[in-house]
Amino acid sequence: MIDILIEVLSIPFVQRALIGALLIAIVASASGTFLVFRGLSFMTSGVAHAALGGAALGLFLQHSGLVPWFDPIIGALLFSVFVALVTGYAGETGMTQKMEVAVGVSFALSMSIAVFLMYYIPPTQVPQIWGYLIGDLLLLDNFDIVLLAITAIVLVLITLVFNKEFIYVSVDMEGSICHGMNARAYHYLMLITSALAIALATKAVGAILVYAIMVAPAAAASELIKSIRGIFIAVFVIALLSELMGLVASFTVNASPSAIAGILAAFSYVIAMQIKKLRDRVSIDLDQFPQHDEEATLVLREALDTSAHEGHDH
Amino acid sequence: MEQQFLFEVEDLAVKYPNGELALYNVNFSIKSPTFMAIVGPNGSGKSTLLKTSLGLIKPVRGQVKVLGYDSVRENKKIRKLVRYVPQRDRIGLSVPLKVKDVVLMSRLLKKPPPRFASSKDNEMARESLKRVNMADLWDRPFPELSGGQRQRVLVARALAGDGPILMLDEPLAGTDHESQDMIVEALGDYRSEHEVNIVMVTHDLNPIHTLVQDVLLLKNTVVGVGTPCDMMDVDLLKKIYGPTAKVVEYAGHKYCVTHDSGVDRHD
Ligand SMILES: Nc1ncnc2c1ncn2[C@@H]1O[C@H](COP(=O)(O)OP(=O)(O)OP(=O)(O)O)[C@@H](O)[C@H]1O
Ligand SMILES: [Mg+2]
Repeated sequence: MIDILIEVLSIPFVQRALIGALLIAIVASASGTFLVFRGLSFMTSGVAHAALGGAALGLFLQHSGLVPWFDPIIGALLFSVFVALVTGYAGETGMTQKMEVAVGVSFALSMSIAVFLMYYIPPTQVPQIWGYLIGDLLLLDNFDIVLLAITAIVLVLITLVFNKEFIYVSVDMEGSICHGMNARAYHYLMLITSALAIALATKAVGAILVYAIMVAPAAAASELIKSIRGIFIAVFVIALLSELMGLVASFTVNASPSAIAGILAAFSYVIAMQIKKLRDRVSIDLDQFPQHDEEATLVLREALDTSAHEGHDH
Repeated sequence: MEQQFLFEVEDLAVKYPNGELALYNVNFSIKSPTFMAIVGPNGSGKSTLLKTSLGLIKPVRGQVKVLGYDSVRENKKIRKLVRYVPQRDRIGLSVPLKVKDVVLMSRLLKKPPPRFASSKDNEMARESLKRVNMADLWDRPFPELSGGQRQRVLVARALAGDGPILMLDEPLAGTDHESQDMIVEALGDYRSEHEVNIVMVTHDLNPIHTLVQDVLLLKNTVVGVGTPCDMMDVDLLKKIYGPTAKVVEYAGHKYCVTHDSGVDRHD
């Protein structure tokens, strides 16, 4: 048994998958948590699709010979930053609803650009665009790992240094500005680093895993856990476990590990909601047995007595 | 020494991008130090005036000076002096910040990153929570508190900070009698111990009229400015609260009776 395990673990693509899973869990914890705090979980899918439009633009510029050096990944990163900027501009006053609309609009715009450009890209190249959305933990190459590792390290550093700022911006933008903090700069910094991380992670492991892992664990953890640090840790653990279970399962049932990990991560949210409901029910049950209050009963009885007397008088 | 002014407002007009003229023809000045109340009904431009004075909104006409600094050109300097508490509904509840973290904000926001809390910061935070009787809730998640408790924590946040101006936007909104008294008392005590200016937005003058020195009655323009007693005038109050406004005297104090004041408080 152990022999088989060691043998499996020595296969390079399995090793890359494990390292990839770890790095994605770090990205989810550092970036996904802030997005959920900010009420911006929708931004993940907006950015990933915008990156698709950018990749299409990159391919178009390359193949039309207009800008031969323009790699699709540059286009993808540019478009994801564009979504972050539009979203940030809409949310400068701290209004989340406006940011959601901005994500939706810039998402639609980039998808339209992608589809529009597909007519002008040689049909043989079109799958490469969609390929941007479809990656998998088992298909990672060394370059993907390097890209993911750099993303994760930069993200962790920025989060370590600026976590208070990001939280203050989410909680009280107005108050932060009025106390002299450059809240606008941190607001944009948070959105842009998240967008870049989402785009790079999507490139590496594919959109499905990124959607599920960036949003669901953070949403699940913030339903249940009452401390910020606890949420960061829980997100990391949930994300990593989902991915590992996805990988293990993919060897037995012959399915994409990303898809299984996505399903598991989504389930963590459903389970969290269920636990929360149970918890609420338990505390209500306790409330139904308040301590017996002699005085209150007495007052109540007196009140009932007098009203009964009054009733007789009439 | 030269007389300092907390506010010098000249010919101020503020318009929102949607065309709403929130303030017009606003002229007044208030000497420093003071405990000042800005009073007016909903939509009268109270919050707008505070935000304009902090440089969050640019006036379309005129200017505001805070302790001599211009709100547009020198808002950085003003923000160094101010501890600000926005209206409670502007505080996001999606992050499980602890009560202590909220109170520490006013101190940590004035530091450069990474903004670690020193033991002095913690001490100040604890002390100001005590002033509003919330020290027990130090480690509780802020979003789980009741509305009135949150308001008390936010007042503690202002008290914990440094800087000669406290600006509080409706710190009494949604609080019961007890919380109101506690907040008012805490502010009064703090003011008697420290040389600070307190500016408080409210739509009910009664709970604080014995404490404040200057009152600004606002209804998108200045309706009146002066001492609380001068402002407790039926004709002035009718201008902002409509014809049903009254002033009653009880136990040597005047009270205004308007739709906005808790009439049941003074039976
Ligand atoms: N962001 C905004 N965009 C457009 N109009 C606004 C905005 N904020 C306020 N207004 C308008 O400006 C006017 C003054 O608003 P303001 O918030 O200053 O009133 P207020 O006196 O603080 O009221 P309240 O007691 O309800 O807090 C209102 O008519 C309001 O509709
Ligand atoms: Mg207001």
